[in-house]
Amino acid sequence: MNIETTWENAPAVAGHKSLMSDGYDFSALRVLVVDDSFHMRELVRTFLEGFGIKEVTVSSDAEEAFDFLVNMDPDLIITDWNMAPVSGLEFVERIRKSANVPNRFVPIIMLTGYTEMKRVEEARDAGINSFLAKPISAASLYKRLVTSVQDKRQYVESSGGYFGPDRRAGKRREYRGKERREKV
Amino acid sequence: MEQAILRAVNAADDLIGQYQGWAVDDLEKLWQSFVETSRSGRADPVRLKQLYDMTHEARGQGGSFGFPLISVVGDSLCKYLDGRPRLKARDLDVIRVHIMAMKAVFRQGLKGHQGGLTKELHELLGLFRAKVAAQ
Repeated sequence: MNIETTWENAPAVAGHKSLMSDGYDFSALRVLVVDDSFHMRELVRTFLEGFGIKEVTVSSDAEEAFDFLVNMDPDLIITDWNMAPVSGLEFVERIRKSANVPNRFVPIIMLTGYTEMKRVEEARDAGINSFLAKPISAASLYKRLVTSVQDKRQYVESSGGYFGPDRRAGKRREYRGKERREKV
Repeated sequence: MEQAILRAVNAADDLIGQYQGWAVDDLEKLWQSFVETSRSGRADPVRLKQLYDMTHEARGQGGSFGFPLISVVGDSLCKYLDGRPRLKARDLDVIRVHIMAMKAVFRQGLKGHQGGLTKELHELLGLFRAKVAAQ
């Protein structure tokens, strides 16, 4: 049996709706970008800074990024998947399961060229908050940031070892029948 | 929102403008890896993974830096290579055609969305993969 514990609230990222017509004010966000491709890292950093984010830290590998994570306590992580020796997937699992990170609720966007459904599900099961397929554009990245700010899903911890955003959120909205755990 | 995106696009202008220069070098490395694989290591899973990883990078970078056709070709080759335990002679033809297609995209400077060409190329490569797989 897989028992899940629901956490009251995941801390919201620092982005908030400003009064400007320009949409969200992301200037107070601290973002950590992890990608082994120098060019992709720089492109993501440039886009983020273009959105007004002042504190963007980049890292070329997950091991180094984990050290950064302990010290900088980012509001959002954007990570590539296909990296060595530690993959983006392992990096996410390590964050979600670690007792040493300041905030294991930190929202994580998986940025990857993998688009197959089995990969998306694998990333979801590692504990990511959202998935952004490469190739990317400034518009697609901006939309993912907004999604992260608006994401109100609770975090759950299961006896099966999963910790992360509630993976059932999307399906539950459509479900009309009796809940399995509903008290009789 | 639109202003923020415009600011980001403008900020990345120089970076995107430099793409073709280093991407052509990366493509040459992919070609060399293919040549070495053709010569000796068709059954070598390490070489196969190297080919896949380099193609996977090209797939993600092409469209991000203004060359969506590179992503179309890269995606087609990734689909073909994904899960393949070893390469056969016919597979080498598929890889060669895909790398040559990427070279042609750069040689012709086919930046941005190319309208019907993108769809045609996508369909053509899909038919080619299916035909080879059926042999």
